Amino acid sequence: MHDSHHMALVLSRVSSRFDDQRAKEASVLEDISFSVPAGSFVSMIGPSGAGKSTLMRVILGLMPPSSGVIVRNFKRPAMVFQNYALFPWLTALDNVAFGLQMDGLDRQERRRIAREKLKEVGLDHLEKHYPSALSGGQRQRVGLARALAIAPDLLIMDEPFSNLDTITSEALKADLLKIWRSYGMTILMVNHLIPDAIELSDQVIVMGAHPGSIEKIIPIDLARPRDVRSVPFFKEVDRLTEDIRRTL
Amino acid sequence: MAAVIAIALAFGVSGYFSEVDWTMIIDSVLRTTYRIAMAYGVALVLGVSIALIVGWSPFADALFPFFDILQNLPSFALLPLFIYFLGFTDQTIILFAVSSIIWPILFAVLTAIKSAHKDLSDAATIFGARGFRRIRYYLAPLSFPAILTGSIVGIAIGWEAVIGAEIIANTSGFGAFIKTVDTSGLNPTAIAGALGILVIVFVVNRLVWAPLLADSARRYAE
Repeated sequence: MHDSHHMALVLSRVSSRFDDQRAKEASVLEDISFSVPAGSFVSMIGPSGAGKSTLMRVILGLMPPSSGVIVRNFKRPAMVFQNYALFPWLTALDNVAFGLQMDGLDRQERRRIAREKLKEVGLDHLEKHYPSALSGGQRQRVGLARALAIAPDLLIMDEPFSNLDTITSEALKADLLKIWRSYGMTILMVNHLIPDAIELSDQVIVMGAHPGSIEKIIPIDLARPRDVRSVPFFKEVDRLTEDIRRTL
Repeated sequence: MAAVIAIALAFGVSGYFSEVDWTMIIDSVLRTTYRIAMAYGVALVLGVSIALIVGWSPFADALFPFFDILQNLPSFALLPLFIYFLGFTDQTIILFAVSSIIWPILFAVLTAIKSAHKDLSDAATIFGARGFRRIRYYLAPLSFPAILTGSIVGIAIGWEAVIGAEIIANTSGFGAFIKTVDTSGLNPTAIAGALGILVIVFVVNRLVWAPLLADSARRYAE
């Protein structure tokens, strides 16, 4: 394990259980240990029921772990949600400005930053639109802009591409890599596609289900930028797929 | 509403309303409307405030059954209590109406908060809507459609409550008015009064609730 000073996040034997009427106590996460180096891009993949979303909530402090230790070497986390989680009563611009408003920034300043972030994700022309008037891809971009607006040092993304069509998710992936490089933040992404995980990540954490546990942590050593049609890339996908098939 | 207007016109043209004392009707209808408006205002402020504070607190689940029991107390059973303390006054009728209107509003808001998508609640927390700011910037706007529907149901119940209380307490207002005219056999006056109430309900619906519902549907669509 790396030195925790250079880690954005360290989990040591983290477990999460909840009360279940029939089983009395059901375990969702069991003995989860891993580290996320600061500035890295880490993906988590695993089957349904692996507790990936629960783990994200535990990391963000939205629910306490039942046991274990979490070292959070980040100051400002942000999250991008699978179902966007945009506030329906706010326009795209006000959604992006929400975190800044909570930080107490004045209206002019937060709108200036929000416009900047919307422009970064290519949606500056839709700032007055409510979420219901946006496509899935546009909503996810607003969600990403909302996260970027608060200048996070850890960005958690819970299956951000799973509700998007292939063309939209490819474009968003490319933008995400650009943003990650320019911001230098740590990204922890829950993913369900192995090629996506390899294309984006420095490290892939493979989780097993019932209860959620870490099965394997696989470093991805391919040079960046990664050519998703190259032989080494296909070999890496093949290797990881085989690894996961054996593990799960 | 077109049918109501057509019936009213037919009655008017046929001279059915020629003997009606319109001043008395307008006075009674306005007095009842004033009581409804006051009761709704108090119920709205109380119901929304209580629901937001309870929904924000960690005790929402524990308090829900308690409010359910309170809601099931028949409001008319409380009327003698209000009369005992406040007499046959406006306050009695308004307070009685508040005890009826408040529940649909309170439960609509509490249910909206309880049933909000977990991701939305998490997003509010992650992006800083904590403490009392959570009420202002997350729970209150989240509850807007529920406040609307709760208000529409509450006011419908409120009309019944106010008119019922006016009949029982036999004070001024539309309830006391229809009691008087019915026993006096003044049917055209009673019908004209009922049409007056319908017009007020229709106008409020078209000018207040319909635009607010349309705005809510536009902004809160999934």
